[in-house]
Amino acid sequence: MENQQERMDLSQIREKLDKAKEGGLWRSIGELAERPEFEEYLHQEFPRQSASLGDFVNRRQFFKLMGASLALAGLTACHRKPQGKIVPFVKAPEDMIPGQAVFYASTIIKNGGFGVGILAETHEGRPTKIEGNELHAASLGSSDAMMQAEILNLYDPDRSQAILKFGRIDTWKVFWEEAFTEAGRQKILKGAGLRILTPNTTSPTFIRQMQAFLKEFPQAKWYQYDPVNRDNLYEGARMAFGSPLMPVYDFAQAQTIVSLDSDFLYEGPAAIHSSRKFSEARRLREGMERMNRLYVAETMPSVTGSIADHRLRAKPSQIASLGVALAQAMGVPVNGASAGELSEAQRKWVEAAAQDLKASGSDGLVTVGDQQPAALHAIACAINAFLQSRVTRYIQPAEFNPGNNLNGIKALARDIQENTVEMLLILGGNPVYNAPADLKFEELIPKVKLTAHLSRYTDETSALCVWHLPESHPFETWGDARAFDGSVSLLQPLIGQLYPDTRSALEVITTLAGVSKLPYDLVKETWAGRNIDKLVHDGVVPNTAFPSVSVSVPESVSVPSGSLPSGSDTEIAFLPDPLIGDGSNANNTWLQEIPKPTTKVCWDNVAYMSLDMAARLGVKLDLTKQSYPLMEVKVGDRTLVVPAFPLPGHADGAITLHLGYGRTRGGQNGSGAGFNAYTLRGSDSMSMASGAELSVTRQMYPVACTEAHHVFDFGTGLKSPTDYIDSSNARPIMKVGSFTDYKKDPHLPDHHHHAMEPMSMYAERNYKTYDNPDNHKYAWAMVIDPQVCTGCNACVAACQAENNISVVGKDQVIRQREMHWIRVDRYYKGPADDPELNFLPVTCMQCEKAPCEVVCPVAATVHSEEGLNQMVYNRCVGTRYCSNNCPYKVRRFNFYKYADYDTPVLKLLRNPNVTVRGRGVMEKCTYCVQRINHARIEAKKENRRIREGEIVTACQQACPAQAIAFGDMNDPNSKVSQWRKQPQHFVMLEELNVTPRTTYLARVRNYHPELAPEEHHAGDH
Amino acid sequence: MQETIKPPMGTDAPLIEGKQNYETITEKIGGIVLKSPPKIWYPLFALGFAGTMVMVFTICWLLLRGIGIWGVNQPVGWGFDIINFVWWIGIGHAGTLISAILLLLRQQWRTSINRFSEAMTIFAVMCAGMFPLLHTGRPWLDYWLFPLPNWLAMWPQFRSPLLWDVFAVSTYFTVSLLFWYTGLIPDFASLRDRAKGKIAQLICGTLSLGWRGSAKHWMRYESAYLLLAGLSTPLVLSVHSVVSLDFATSIVPGWHVTVFPPYFVAGAIYAGFAMVITLAVPFRMIYPQLKDYITNHHMDMMAKVMLATGLIVFYGYMMEAFYSFYSANQFETYMIENRFWGPYSGTYWALMICNGLIPQLLWFPRFRHNLFWLYGVSMVVNVGMWLERFVIISVSLHREYKPSGWGFYAGTQWDWSMFIGTIFFFVMMMFLFARFMPMIAIFEMRDLWHRLYHGKSGHNGHAPAHVPNSAEVTSKEDA
Repeated sequence: MENQQERMDLSQIREKLDKAKEGGLWRSIGELAERPEFEEYLHQEFPRQSASLGDFVNRRQFFKLMGASLALAGLTACHRKPQGKIVPFVKAPEDMIPGQAVFYASTIIKNGGFGVGILAETHEGRPTKIEGNELHAASLGSSDAMMQAEILNLYDPDRSQAILKFGRIDTWKVFWEEAFTEAGRQKILKGAGLRILTPNTTSPTFIRQMQAFLKEFPQAKWYQYDPVNRDNLYEGARMAFGSPLMPVYDFAQAQTIVSLDSDFLYEGPAAIHSSRKFSEARRLREGMERMNRLYVAETMPSVTGSIADHRLRAKPSQIASLGVALAQAMGVPVNGASAGELSEAQRKWVEAAAQDLKASGSDGLVTVGDQQPAALHAIACAINAFLQSRVTRYIQPAEFNPGNNLNGIKALARDIQENTVEMLLILGGNPVYNAPADLKFEELIPKVKLTAHLSRYTDETSALCVWHLPESHPFETWGDARAFDGSVSLLQPLIGQLYPDTRSALEVITTLAGVSKLPYDLVKETWAGRNIDKLVHDGVVPNTAFPSVSVSVPESVSVPSGSLPSGSDTEIAFLPDPLIGDGSNANNTWLQEIPKPTTKVCWDNVAYMSLDMAARLGVKLDLTKQSYPLMEVKVGDRTLVVPAFPLPGHADGAITLHLGYGRTRGGQNGSGAGFNAYTLRGSDSMSMASGAELSVTRQMYPVACTEAHHVFDFGTGLKSPTDYIDSSNARPIMKVGSFTDYKKDPHLPDHHHHAMEPMSMYAERNYKTYDNPDNHKYAWAMVIDPQVCTGCNACVAACQAENNISVVGKDQVIRQREMHWIRVDRYYKGPADDPELNFLPVTCMQCEKAPCEVVCPVAATVHSEEGLNQMVYNRCVGTRYCSNNCPYKVRRFNFYKYADYDTPVLKLLRNPNVTVRGRGVMEKCTYCVQRINHARIEAKKENRRIREGEIVTACQQACPAQAIAFGDMNDPNSKVSQWRKQPQHFVMLEELNVTPRTTYLARVRNYHPELAPEEHHAGDH
Repeated sequence: MQETIKPPMGTDAPLIEGKQNYETITEKIGGIVLKSPPKIWYPLFALGFAGTMVMVFTICWLLLRGIGIWGVNQPVGWGFDIINFVWWIGIGHAGTLISAILLLLRQQWRTSINRFSEAMTIFAVMCAGMFPLLHTGRPWLDYWLFPLPNWLAMWPQFRSPLLWDVFAVSTYFTVSLLFWYTGLIPDFASLRDRAKGKIAQLICGTLSLGWRGSAKHWMRYESAYLLLAGLSTPLVLSVHSVVSLDFATSIVPGWHVTVFPPYFVAGAIYAGFAMVITLAVPFRMIYPQLKDYITNHHMDMMAKVMLATGLIVFYGYMMEAFYSFYSANQFETYMIENRFWGPYSGTYWALMICNGLIPQLLWFPRFRHNLFWLYGVSMVVNVGMWLERFVIISVSLHREYKPSGWGFYAGTQWDWSMFIGTIFFFVMMMFLFARFMPMIAIFEMRDLWHRLYHGKSGHNGHAPAHVPNSAEVTSKEDA
């Protein structure tokens, strides 16, 4: 009728809103959308969704309805979530001091749904920094790079803020109407057409709610899918013991550890715990007689492989052969599989590992990577059982329905194909992007009538679903999660919802079940009978770890034929990206820019391959431009073009592709970065594919790699820099040796390294005034122990979060302008195709005679009485002379205005105690001077000295290997003094006589006598 | 003194050519300023102006975006900016050397090129000065490098060689400018007297500061000029020595070299003379009347100075390499190995060819006397001197102590536009100079003519038995 006249357009709405706004504030478009004015607009714009209005409405009726909806606007609570408010302090509690950080315990959910306990540093109500929770089994107070960067995910400006229907802003009210209508219909069908897909979860509260929900809809199905999952692990345990069990290892006690493609120090729910325990056993102590020995067989150099005593590179399919050979060498019967032909190196590796395992007996263990086939897991279970390994125990898995990821996603695909699905709720996850390519989820999703995707981003899956529902960040909600060992920790909101329209999966499922309860009450209900205040305070629920399950030693392992990979000349290993994981962190700029631990590539994924293979394929690099040739990878009918990247230590005959890149809707940073390896990954090749065809093209692609500059220096006539820490051409940068050498002389003398007697024309500044234990000057110093450093980058991320360090982007990294204050240097030792990796974290050395200070024309970098080399940002004019004169090259320059001054939500992220540096200013590590001063203030208030251990730098706090000591070196009892007194203590570039305050210990490998490299042989016989 | 007046060796060219008398000298040199310029002047000036606009645009973009538009990075914190700074400062040195040291050494051949090369000095220092001022991250705070009284009570940091640079360069510029201007005063007076137009009279009159040519004026002028020459002389040595200390005092392998100060000074004079030749040859073509005053004799002398300083510089290169090997210090050894065979070895060998090999042609009179070859060699030396700074500054930085901190360096389009922009700015300033100021000191030429031929008309007369120095001449005339 006269609808045309009633139609409004957005500008009118805006006008109306402007008037309305005068009365009150609004926070989001979503909230606006619930205003009647907007609904009016929506319903007219999309008449098919506004059945109530219909076509017959005349002006009078319209206003009647309008009036009614205005009146009813307040009555929508039955559909909206119950309002739980976090109220800001009206009256500050007595102990609340503005400017004083407060720490709250919560939990971060890692891949697979496992929780890691955290403490969040909160400044005036906004969380700014994540620390590990010492009470939590999976953290023990440490963290990793992903946990550190989670805070950026919270404040990510690209987070979805509005509920969308077909890509248009809509309201929760409309969604619930549709959902309830459909759910009502499904209720009659007992939920036969209802499917729910979530990532794996361990949350007792969520599982309880889901189960309650499924009781209402008995025929509905709940599938779990993570692209990187533990299916093989559980299946292997089922093969060995009859039920899916989770192995838990005690790396602190283990004497011989054999890892078959398992990156246990870095990947998986127990990585931080494992790293902590492993480093305890590994650290050099004076008079140490015994050291554990780590064997790693893997395709691509991993964090665990880098610290291994004997790293064996092997194609993905060969790992299983090695496992079979190991079992046979141990006398564990394996039926239905043979090791096949092993090379000389492989045979020796297996023999040595078997010999050590037998010698260690119950102190030995074998661990297998999640990506390896189930049969190999079964073999490992058998070996561990055979050893009666007391360092391996088995527990019930913490996940709900463990080990059914692939089955689940396949079943869902089948259900949709068979048209049995009418309503599909995807609560988290991104199956269109990361489901196996052969399932073609992008074609399946649109077949379902009602699809809704709850997600923090409007990602690839959201784009194909009818509804996109914005998800709350875990830091905004209540919840709980289990750690790898089953122990429970709680999630509590660290901040009110940044965007009022976001919901958590728990809230969505409770509302759909018709339960009107706040998440907090649900969590409280789950843990009824316990003191919830204490649980929230500590973050962990005590005594919830699962007890060990006793397992019987299997007589033998039967390997079903075809369950071990056959292999081919060219194989592909699919691994989660070390930093952005399965792709869910793709928009996190910190994680994008932190160099990958072993390859130092950032902002991209590439096809890693051995140097020999690169030579065979004709890969030619242009290192001055950091360009690598694009290569077409073909597996069956699936192809992917990806840069070819030669990597020392990579297995020959295989390439490694990291998942998680090549997002098309991954936010402004995630989209377009890298190449989507999921497109090659089918349900039959979830972790490895064989028979790939590779052809290198002439097209070059720039790859940002922070340490490519010297690795491939072949053909220039210079010695390969891989030799640089070889004793034959030693640069006094790192001290490496063998444990045998160490036992002989713990000083690990290096004949090529001569420290000079310090001499100077000028009077030396005296920092060493230890005459009175109660009244000496502090002399801050740091010692880093590369012996246990795995190069995991937790320190880099922690430093970035603590010190407001800017991200510069791929182009600027290619121009060598990355800003990280601490970097993890990687040095190779040994032959270029299969070298040992050594990591050396480098901070500002805080030289006592700092070369940077004398050359600054404006005195912008000066020395403190306590030995800190201080950087005065507002005095710096930016001549970069200091950086030129720094032998350690630890200074970072703001070539542009790198800091984001404009994005409002990122302002919440900043640490208020650290200056945000502007353009044209030099910056560098300050030993977290803000933390030093905080401790000083606290000490002064109590009229005492700063205690040992009171100052913990950000890198030190994060380090899962506890490889960093910091403190007062004038105090002979401090940890840092103790470490400095160790015989293997080492000063980098000592002969420059700049007397750095950051010093190092040596890195020692415990070689098996038969396998030790040439130079160490002499000492062993 | 005898030998300078003898019919010149090798060149067969006198210091002043053509039939000259006092009148023709003034007429020919002053006429360039007072008459309209040759047609070619306009397009050449326009070209210089257009290039200068490129520079201005680059500077605007630089101030807007930050020095990230350049190629500098971690570890190569100094690239084109400091390379160009050192290059330009070096070029400036020839001017001061010619005008001050050669004056004190009473080298008469300096007379016809000193004004010209002093102008070159001033403009080169202008170009040079832009780089350190703009290369800082926050150029608007550059004044912090000067010891100005301020409410922060903050002095600059006097131990920093960059601060010494500030003093050295600013002193150098000031003294050079005063020296130049002092020398111009009598000539402006001549122009004032000869100018026909009102504006020219007014401007030249103002600039001549009331010069009337009285004996007292001459006496004061002579002592002032001598004093300024004395002041400038140490500057020739000090400025580039101080610049070299930017590198020598650091601990960067390849920078930390004790031979740098004399080696840099020699390099500067080398580069400067190359630039004087580079400018003199085309200017003689544009203004043919200059050929009478900047004769082949001058070209020959400059070529010889180039050859001598070039050999000193080459000795420096050899010493650098020798020290590195002899030090038995692995970082020093690697530094020179990297220069020889590393990724930038091309620049090193190009430098050796440009500065070491090709200038050896100047041993042969055949090449010295052929302007085409001489011009070619001077251009090669200009390039070579730029490469030398590239090798010293950027190639040393790109691989020093820690392999993990190694990197590559290349200039961006903005580096090039800034560098080329300053060259055009320099060209533009030289053309402005040629248009509006006497390119050769008129009165000094007349004085020289007087001394060479002492009242005889024509130039082929016998040399006088005794040539009094200028002070003597003035005092005698005054008396």
